[in-house]
Amino acid sequence: MVSSVGLVFSLAAPGLLGGDLAAQDAAAPRVAAGDSALERRTREVASGLRCPVCQGLSIADSPSELALEMKGLVREQLAAGKTPDQIRAYFIGKYGEWVLLEPKAEGLNLLVYVLPLTLVVGGALFVIRYVRANSEKRNS
Amino acid sequence: MTRAIGASSLYVSLAVTVAALLLVTFGARRAQAGWLRAGYAATYLQFGLMTAATFAMIFGLVAHDFSIDYVAQVGSRATPLYYTVISLWGALEGSILFWGWVLALLTALVVFWNRSREGNLIPYTTATMLGVGIFFQFLLVSPAFPFGAVSPVPPDGPGPNPLLQNHWLMGIHPPLLYLGYVGMTVPFAFAMGAMASGEVGDGSWIRLSRRWTLGAWAFLTAAIIAGMWWSYEVLGWGGYWAWDPVENASFMPWLTATAFLHSVMVQERRGLLKLWNLNLVVATFALTILGTFLTRSGVLSSVHAFTEGLIGYYFLVAIAITLLASFVLVAGNSERLVSFGKLEGVASRGTVFLFNNLLLTAFTFTVLVGTLFPLFAEAVRGEKVSVGEPFFNRMTIPICAALLFLMGVGPALPWKEADRATLRRKLLGPIIAAGVTLVASVGAGVRSPYAALAFAFAAFAFVANIGEFVEGARARMRLRGESAVDALGHLLAANRRRYGGYVAHLGVVAVAVAITASSTFRAEHEATLKKGESMTVGGLQVRLDEVWGREEPQRSVIGTTVTILKGGREVARLDPRMNFYPTSQQPVPTPAVRSRPSGDIYLNLQAFAQDGTNATLRVIVEPLVPWIWAGGMIICLGAMISIAPFGRRVPAAVVEAEPPMAAPAPVAAT
Repeated sequence: MVSSVGLVFSLAAPGLLGGDLAAQDAAAPRVAAGDSALERRTREVASGLRCPVCQGLSIADSPSELALEMKGLVREQLAAGKTPDQIRAYFIGKYGEWVLLEPKAEGLNLLVYVLPLTLVVGGALFVIRYVRANSEKRNS
Repeated sequence: MTRAIGASSLYVSLAVTVAALLLVTFGARRAQAGWLRAGYAATYLQFGLMTAATFAMIFGLVAHDFSIDYVAQVGSRATPLYYTVISLWGALEGSILFWGWVLALLTALVVFWNRSREGNLIPYTTATMLGVGIFFQFLLVSPAFPFGAVSPVPPDGPGPNPLLQNHWLMGIHPPLLYLGYVGMTVPFAFAMGAMASGEVGDGSWIRLSRRWTLGAWAFLTAAIIAGMWWSYEVLGWGGYWAWDPVENASFMPWLTATAFLHSVMVQERRGLLKLWNLNLVVATFALTILGTFLTRSGVLSSVHAFTEGLIGYYFLVAIAITLLASFVLVAGNSERLVSFGKLEGVASRGTVFLFNNLLLTAFTFTVLVGTLFPLFAEAVRGEKVSVGEPFFNRMTIPICAALLFLMGVGPALPWKEADRATLRRKLLGPIIAAGVTLVASVGAGVRSPYAALAFAFAAFAFVANIGEFVEGARARMRLRGESAVDALGHLLAANRRRYGGYVAHLGVVAVAVAITASSTFRAEHEATLKKGESMTVGGLQVRLDEVWGREEPQRSVIGTTVTILKGGREVARLDPRMNFYPTSQQPVPTPAVRSRPSGDIYLNLQAFAQDGTNATLRVIVEPLVPWIWAGGMIICLGAMISIAPFGRRVPAAVVEAEPPMAAPAPVAAT
């Protein structure tokens, strides 16, 4: 029951990456579907922005007042045709890079992505060599 | 009076613990049985003293003895009794006191159960635990002294932090977490004891500490799940995991301990990975201390960072000492840690365990890097960065998917090199299940490739683990003529450890499916409603009936009465609230959840009009959420099956004595 509910919801929102909201609005009937499409886009952007008064929650998740206001702002700006990048840039200007919940993959930040990958790749090579060297029976 | 008893118990306990450490250590080194016995007696005594201190604190809390500064800090006459008692761990000093008490208890138990064992392993293990105990008791008499005097004695106190007195789970999550954290001290102590006594080569420390490790792991599992549940029920955001630094802090030792539980089997069977297993045990212990440092130092902001201060840095020193001591001991034992064995095959269970360990280590490392990076970046660049949920999801979901996959492959593969026929017999079912699930999820509209993959791998692991039960039971039915139920029961009883593990795997599958489903199929809507108005969220009609207010002794409550209808029929009536505590400007959200095995309807009161004419409600429909909690319980059940000390092997005679035909008529076998 509930999963079919969720299904209808997720089907109602078409893929929106980079889509222009005006076009979406024209295409979709103005009632429920258009709303949930905007809602979904809002959530997408908002879930990457940190609520400044909470502890690590995004403004999409946080129930705090400030987060609600910020989410409203995201919704308005999306409705006004701003792109997610423009909206993110606006919030970075206001709160600093800190407001992004996922650090931009550039400069020093690359470390946080590269270190775990290095361990996975290096570790996999090591384990493969270890298994080859330490097995009683070897496959060709 | 209470204050004096508590304070003096702590001071005397520290002295007794130091004495016990010296007696045990030198008793072992000089082979003085009398000293050793005295040291063990002192170990029991320090447990008694810590118990006295802890009970003094509980008594002080319950009696509202505000002359004790901890009570004055967290107590209040209006707080209900339950929350008064559990405010023992409501702030730093009480938490450390409780921690020290649990540690003293475990130390006494380790001594009690192992004291007659020959050799120096147990004395040095005890000494390690006493050493850790001295650290905590030192904190208790110095920077975290809970029994300070307050003068003049205030008539009343502020009560516990509002977040800690808003839900009964606060009485469950912290003690479970401490039992898990402190429990990890035991395998660590056995590892150190084994190295210090030179008995590390034969791996007896692993056998002696196996149940402790599993027990601590089960407590940690339960604590993490209970923490998720608490977050879900109290924070009002409809989620259960935010990659908060403290969540990460409890998750990292869980990951390394999980890796250890698996890799240790390779050592037991093949004598490999001796050094690696020691590393995992030391890492697990160090990570529990690191977690405490992160939460108590206030270096990272977190929902749990209730106190800030210098005390955190003591933990940093403790980590340094731990790592240094284990490094020295490992170096001193290098020739005993050489592995002579070989894996039995390339396509074998041993290989899967190695990859399992690689993934769990990479997982831990990713979480560690992500958690610490903001500190590092700020130190280097001077600009704050956040590493939050989107990062952790991106980096760890692929690892989770791969682990799910291995969780199916591992049980299916034999220890010996698997031949083609075995592979086909064991893996065909799981592969078909995975394929069908993949197609079905894509057909059902799952568009995230990871979600579809997670469902598929979950099906794979589920069928593979169930298959082990089916295959084992069938063999018994064929060979011994047992009924399906008997066969399953005997199978479990005869191989508790193995099948307990598979039960835990099934629990992990439940958690994985529930997390994936609840985040993939989540439907959510937020609206401001006037009284009598409704909103529709995915087929459900949510009607605001009433906005009301109520005074309770310790708080004021603003609540709403909301009716959920489906097709005009009433499904549930819920009352999401906001609780206002006098000590906090911000209200504490108190969502209302209607739970069914198929999923939850989650209602949070976001805002309300002062005149009570309207309220803003957030409605979240999340499928399968209760299966996260249930899955956690299944995992713990699996651990308990593996731990159970009784009847490790059903004696052959008993099994044979059962006349095959006397078994009840086979209940529908399949």
